[in-house]
Amino acid sequence: MNLDARQVGQWIGRRLAAPSSAVAVGPRPLATAALVAAIACAGAVPLVTSAYVLQLATDILTFAALAYSWNVISGCTGYLSFGQVSFFGIGAYATSALVLRTGLPWYVAAIIGSAIGGASAAVLGTIMLRLRGIMFALGMLGLARILMVVSSNWDFIGGAAGLILPAQLTPVAVYFAMWVAVLVAFALNYFVLHSQWGLSVTGVRDDEVAASAIGVPTSWVKIIAFILSALAPAAVGGLVAWNRSFLDPPSAFDPTLDLQVIVFALFGGIGTLWGPALGTVTLVIVGEQFWAYLPDLQLALYGVLVIAVVLAFPGGIVGIANKFGWLRRKPVAAPAAFPVVARPAQLATSGNDAVIEVRDLTVRFGGLVALNGVSLAVKRGEMVSIIGANGAGKTTLFNAITGFVKPTEGGVFYQGKSVSDIPSHQRARRGIARTFQIPRLMESMTVWENTLLAARNGKRAAAAVDQAAWALHTVKLDSLWLELPNKLSPGQQRRLEMARALALDPTVILLDEVMAGMTRNEQGEIRAVLRHFRDLGVAAVAGVEHIISAIADISDRMIVLDRGKKIAEGTPEEVLRDPAVIESYLGKVS
Amino acid sequence: MIVLQLVVNGVLLGGTYILLAQGLNLVFGVMGIVNLAHGSIITVAGLFTYWFVTHTDQSPLWLIPCVFVVMLAVGAVLQRLLLEPLAKLGTRRELLSLMVTFGLSYVIVETALNFFGSQYVSLPNLQETWSVGGLAINEALVAAGVLGALISGCLHVWLHYTPSGKALLATSQNATGAVTCGIDVRRMRGISFAIGSALAGIAGVLLILILPLSAPTADTLTILSFVIVALGGLGDYKGAVYAGLLLGLVQSGVGYYLGGDVEVVVPYLLLITFMVLRPQGLGQAAR
Repeated sequence: MNLDARQVGQWIGRRLAAPSSAVAVGPRPLATAALVAAIACAGAVPLVTSAYVLQLATDILTFAALAYSWNVISGCTGYLSFGQVSFFGIGAYATSALVLRTGLPWYVAAIIGSAIGGASAAVLGTIMLRLRGIMFALGMLGLARILMVVSSNWDFIGGAAGLILPAQLTPVAVYFAMWVAVLVAFALNYFVLHSQWGLSVTGVRDDEVAASAIGVPTSWVKIIAFILSALAPAAVGGLVAWNRSFLDPPSAFDPTLDLQVIVFALFGGIGTLWGPALGTVTLVIVGEQFWAYLPDLQLALYGVLVIAVVLAFPGGIVGIANKFGWLRRKPVAAPAAFPVVARPAQLATSGNDAVIEVRDLTVRFGGLVALNGVSLAVKRGEMVSIIGANGAGKTTLFNAITGFVKPTEGGVFYQGKSVSDIPSHQRARRGIARTFQIPRLMESMTVWENTLLAARNGKRAAAAVDQAAWALHTVKLDSLWLELPNKLSPGQQRRLEMARALALDPTVILLDEVMAGMTRNEQGEIRAVLRHFRDLGVAAVAGVEHIISAIADISDRMIVLDRGKKIAEGTPEEVLRDPAVIESYLGKVS
Repeated sequence: MIVLQLVVNGVLLGGTYILLAQGLNLVFGVMGIVNLAHGSIITVAGLFTYWFVTHTDQSPLWLIPCVFVVMLAVGAVLQRLLLEPLAKLGTRRELLSLMVTFGLSYVIVETALNFFGSQYVSLPNLQETWSVGGLAINEALVAAGVLGALISGCLHVWLHYTPSGKALLATSQNATGAVTCGIDVRRMRGISFAIGSALAGIAGVLLILILPLSAPTADTLTILSFVIVALGGLGDYKGAVYAGLLLGLVQSGVGYYLGGDVEVVVPYLLLITFMVLRPQGLGQAAR
């Protein structure tokens, strides 16, 4: 049995060190060697050391598994949880009840307990993840309390008196089982931080709205991350209960467990692959020397530590190491050099069919009518600009078309079909792309990853890489592909948003305030990209407030909005001569 | 008759709850952060009151001005040292300030545990019961409820009718706008946390009159305060008054009909239910 656990660990270790998917990350012999060495040492611990050291090692593993799991939901997804102990408790009760009532072997019960933890996360996640920020943080704290009260009153699982469990596990078995839990939790972190799917998780953390605008099903992503963060705690809960051979509500749903886990993850570095491990190992070993002298102040000192770390080095150990160039995160699926662009140029499929059609669209916010009976149609490969002053309704129109605002009346049709009931990320996936008035880029992701996230859109990994490379090349950002967005100029940020939109393989791109606040040079760059859209068969709808001259000569058609109403439509020449338009912009000349 | 009794108790409890929440509300309004140490300040103030009264045999009400002044200073120092450094961090500020106040709550609670122990204590003062028209009215409940409502009223007057209060209210409504009006927003952040802590301190002094407290109740009080603030709409002072009264009524009813165990989780259940159904708060619904 011990051997089994070790083999599983080694197998996972090898899988982790192997290059992921078809993308050439390059083998990492050092990391592989380190992992194998660590696992070999770990296997030797029970053979050569005292019971005290074995218990200490088991403690470290327990907290590392919990810290890694907390890291998935709070570090990677950005949903700060003060109640992950809920799943620890659910797993503990599920495992104990299974063993006591059905007589299943403990390891089978632990696996089923973990699955029950995951299932309960799926159910609870649909409710809890509708909360954001502080609401979620405190909601989770409350959830743990509610579960504690429920378990105290449920006699099937022992009620307030708790359950006595027959001591069945040897410390060595617990030790190796904890190793499995840690490796699973670590593997999940690796998956979330280094896979193409994991980009969606980072996208949700950085900007949920922008993520859904580039086709990320944010609700699903959050629920999956929540499930992943519940699996290991549930198994660990079962193991800890068996190790103590006693389980009652206060020990199952102990809120101080969350404090410790947060301290460890924070100290090591939140949202990083090595942070939870480094933080746990350091603090448990240092703490062990310390608490002997100050047994009553342990939690208070953890509190001090949380404050000190946040104020002095919020990035934790990994954050400090990064400054010296160590432990830096590698961009996901980034080849050694910018990939050769191999996408065949898509030729315009001309035709008069409307790609987007808006019929009698009215949007009201309370008493304010933002859009009033607007109708318009955009054909394939057409360049339409929508001009109008601040407050004319351009952004609301784009939001209604992309599904971020629900129309009060009227409908939006895409390729002849109504999309009114389709959520925004699905509209993006079907080909309605957009950019934002103020660029909303994923700040912790490189230019490459920002684009790759949009390019995934149901594609295989290799195809997504090609698509992202093509999109970045099209907007001429290939040389900046490994920069972070905050290093880009406003014009470059705008082009990155366009690349992200293009990576979706759209039929229409809605550009909100396409050239606001740009230098003449930057305007030129954007114009070049806009002209290129037509060759690709992509219709473009650009919202413009001021710089009408820069957009007029490349537009096929212009539509003018004024206080929510369409007041003119036609070729640029016609529109710009229209007295109603001149009046709207300059006021009535009497 | 029982229903009427429950309503009277609920309203009086609600009066204290209003005060419980206003400090948290003030800090949230001006600083944009939720002070997770709010409940621990309340608890420590309550436990200190118990210690003071049992050792000196004075009326707990004398402590109100003292606690107010001391907590003003403590709050100002805490804000300057722990939270002001985070003010410029932008998007990460919310998460990091939650962490800091979370850590702070443990520092306060665990220190309190070492001083006051973990047993629940309540004050034997003001335990007379007046009989008014068949209703049994508890003296302590009246004192706490009326004083709580009164102090909240003072806060309202200060915010709306004095220059310094108006400056704070302006900062809470729009910090950028306040800067352009010449308000020192940094100073306002300090003042809001100082007053928020002072109000939490007073709330603790009043709460120990009507509820048994112990160091571990801190979390429950933080959640309770937050639920009131969230129900009323974050940063909405009038909404918090309605929400405080509502919660007082609900808790007195639930406590009577469903028992103490359920009463304890009422704030948590309300938090989750209301946040899912009405994330914008009750106040917005009424308008």
